[in-house]
Amino acid sequence: MNKVLLLAEILTVASAFVVGLHPNILYASVFLLFTFCGVAVMFLYAGADFLAGAQVIIYVGGVTILILFAIMLTQWLYKIKLADIRNKMLLPGVLSIAVGTFLYRALHQMVAALPPQTPEALEKFTATPKTALIGQALLGGYLLPFEAITILLLGAMVGAVWLARPE
Amino acid sequence: MNHLVEFSASLQGYLAVGAVLFSLGIFCVLTRKNAIGILLGIELILNAAGINFVAFSKFRTGLIDGQMVALFIMLIAAAEAAVALAVILRFYRLKQTIDADEASIMRN
Repeated sequence: MNKVLLLAEILTVASAFVVGLHPNILYASVFLLFTFCGVAVMFLYAGADFLAGAQVIIYVGGVTILILFAIMLTQWLYKIKLADIRNKMLLPGVLSIAVGTFLYRALHQMVAALPPQTPEALEKFTATPKTALIGQALLGGYLLPFEAITILLLGAMVGAVWLARPE
Repeated sequence: MNHLVEFSASLQGYLAVGAVLFSLGIFCVLTRKNAIGILLGIELILNAAGINFVAFSKFRTGLIDGQMVALFIMLIAAAEAAVALAVILRFYRLKQTIDADEASIMRN
């Protein structure tokens, strides 16, 4: 049963490596889609059923398609010269590994500081459907951020249409 | 093998995947000259943050607050992607390239 989660994590990490390292931007963005799918499965196993659905709808169905559209509208598909030119790899590589290791260590200390859940509580949390709880939270304690994000989304939509308007 | 399966279902497994995604996202942002490539890196970074929030929500607090933050991260990422791609299309029309190094003036 848990082997599915392990496979999803391997898929996520492997596709993320392709996204980060592949010289052709088209392949990188297609593999970003697999990363998003793997993350959705990870959400599912962490008891976030609503988030897993939202991840598939927003990222896989929305953001990735939008990025592919932008790539096809702005450049020739297999033109490596335009696709990506990378000159300095060493410093960014060292820097990103250092930041990632530091954050992992810092979070590790936080893990030790917080008390773990009992296995029964974990089981119960995973089995509870979250959609109703999230809906109540959005209209309860999270009402102000919810309203703010609706205005943000409206502004982003109007701004995107205005920016991409024809001359 | 059994050990690996157990690790993948633990909080540490989730944090490790999040850390790898975050590092690769930063690497992607720093090395790519293509504006869309930078956007791909930002999406990876935001996903890594979401994984960490969801993992702590399940394994430590047992509340859905972490999932709420992950949901808001997702919505902000969608808004950011829409605006960024509109800016990229506009920039391409102006300069016929999406090389981020070319974007060095504030007005034309």
